[in-house]
Amino acid sequence: MTAVARSWGRLTLAGKILFTVIPILLLLTAGLVLVVVLFGKPIVDFLAANIWLVRFIVAASAVLLMSVPTAFLIIYMEMKVIALMNLRIGPDRVGPFGSLLSVVHGLKVLMKEDFSPTGSDRLVFTLAPVVVYMSAVMSLLVLPFAPGLFGADINIGLLYLFAVGGLTVVGLLMAGWSSFNKYSLLGGLRSAAQVVSYEIPLTLSVVGLLILTGTMSLNQISLNQAGWFTNWYVFQQPLGALIFFIAATAEGNRTPFDLTEADSEIVAGFATEYSGMRFGFFFFAEYVNVFIVSGLFVALFLGGWNAPIAWPEAWAIHLTFDPGSTGMGLLFALLLVPPILILALAAPFYVGRSSLPWWQALIIGFVLFNVLAIVVVGGWAFISLDWVAGLLWFLGKTYLFVFTFVWMRGTLPRVRIDQLMGFAWKWLLPASLLNLFVTALAVIVINPR
Amino acid sequence: MAIPSTIPILGLPWDDVLFVILAGTMLLAGLLVVTMRDIIRCGLAMMVCFGALAGIYVMAGAPLVAGAQVLVYIGAISVLVLFAIMLTQTKVGPTRLVFQTQAVPAAIAAVILVVVLVLTIGATQWGGTGERGETITADLARVLFADWVLPFEIVGVLLLAAVIGGVFLAKRDRPASTDDVE
Repeated sequence: MTAVARSWGRLTLAGKILFTVIPILLLLTAGLVLVVVLFGKPIVDFLAANIWLVRFIVAASAVLLMSVPTAFLIIYMEMKVIALMNLRIGPDRVGPFGSLLSVVHGLKVLMKEDFSPTGSDRLVFTLAPVVVYMSAVMSLLVLPFAPGLFGADINIGLLYLFAVGGLTVVGLLMAGWSSFNKYSLLGGLRSAAQVVSYEIPLTLSVVGLLILTGTMSLNQISLNQAGWFTNWYVFQQPLGALIFFIAATAEGNRTPFDLTEADSEIVAGFATEYSGMRFGFFFFAEYVNVFIVSGLFVALFLGGWNAPIAWPEAWAIHLTFDPGSTGMGLLFALLLVPPILILALAAPFYVGRSSLPWWQALIIGFVLFNVLAIVVVGGWAFISLDWVAGLLWFLGKTYLFVFTFVWMRGTLPRVRIDQLMGFAWKWLLPASLLNLFVTALAVIVINPR
Repeated sequence: MAIPSTIPILGLPWDDVLFVILAGTMLLAGLLVVTMRDIIRCGLAMMVCFGALAGIYVMAGAPLVAGAQVLVYIGAISVLVLFAIMLTQTKVGPTRLVFQTQAVPAAIAAVILVVVLVLTIGATQWGGTGERGETITADLARVLFADWVLPFEIVGVLLLAAVIGGVFLAKRDRPASTDDVE
């Protein structure tokens, strides 16, 4: 707690205001929800009549809100995993296993001086992180997380993703130019060259997939891969998946293709002159991009939210229990079951080990009860709500790929800029064209009109 | 009870207001492109202009065109223009307009263009407002690849020729030792 208290002491005025206002806003939101639930028949009717607008606002807010925890999680994962790979301990001070370090990072970034260097183009310098972050958050809008759980099911979803994702480079160019620094300019130029080059194999590698699916909607592509894991497009498009993965690594500016910020060559590239929350936005955007790229790979090639195994319908477990049907009984159960179960779980420890004080036994019981409750409720939701199962599968696969990106950062050296460009134009582009032609030929041979 | 189809007090349809905002942004950004001194900012304003145009495409029911607009014009062409400017200009260099050596011919050309435009706009029979429908991407594909496939192919060959010509021009002056591709 001391670290948090110290961070609070060093917050700037703006940071202090922000950190008081956000909980108040959360409380107000909760109160608003309560009001709507209690006497909101006309309000609910109004919202139900304009469900498209509500859906849009909720999706946009949810995407914006989920980007920060996602970035926090991936930043912690990267620090910890790379530390373990390097035989270090990594973050271990704040929170269990250092898992709250990202929060302190956020505080640190907020309380730094909002600095822009002499000779910089102030307006462009300020807008650059906004553009980068906006492109990352807007890309999240079309990712299909689970059946029915997506921001928008646009029928040109994939094109939208590439178009919006391509805006990142505009922000990087703006940052590189406006910093008034040769290293930053080099970083911006590198990012432009790199992203424009790798966008071509990236886009071409999914054209073969589009021939197979016949749609650009990510939701529909995920639906097409239902069933056993052999239906996943990675088995029909192995070359396309490989090219997509490599090109996406370059698009996301990740090692071994992170030449835009190559700290051993050009300090930190476009981010050299950035500090405080402006740098924080670049930092967050990078990790949100890792999540997006992983999620996109999963949605396109690894079946999206589908489980790898399709059980026969006869084996499926059907839970017909609906919590709402119990009425007032549910309320009593919610009130009575937790204390009873906590006491019941604590009793064996208290009886079995006489040296244990009663409050420690209670804490053990509380923790055990929470684990049990999470398992039971989670299991019930996993079996009876298909969007929970889909979300878990999607996030599981996605974080597997996030881990792969972190792993690559921990093990692979950075390539040279000429190797990078040569690889894109001489190897990836012909390979993606080959993939496209072979796929088109196979579709014509197998499925002639 | 749905949201009223027009803005409550002004009585304007929402679509029109959105169109005016987008078109205003586009015109303003276009003006900034030609009037601002800092050439990088001009390029960025050009991107804003293209973005507003993409918004108008979405309003007109052509999201595919809007996506292509953002992908090609903002993500590739404008970025390449900025890239070229950044390679050739330095920020410490003069920021005055360097193109202003032909003010008199440019003014004459501009006046002629305005006169021609005004005459053309005045002489055109503007029909009634067209139907604003949703262009389904599949329909667009059918038109493009079935009815107009020959012009499409010809344009493709033309673009390929342009690409090869560009590579040829870029390669020719160079000594044989360098092999970096840009």
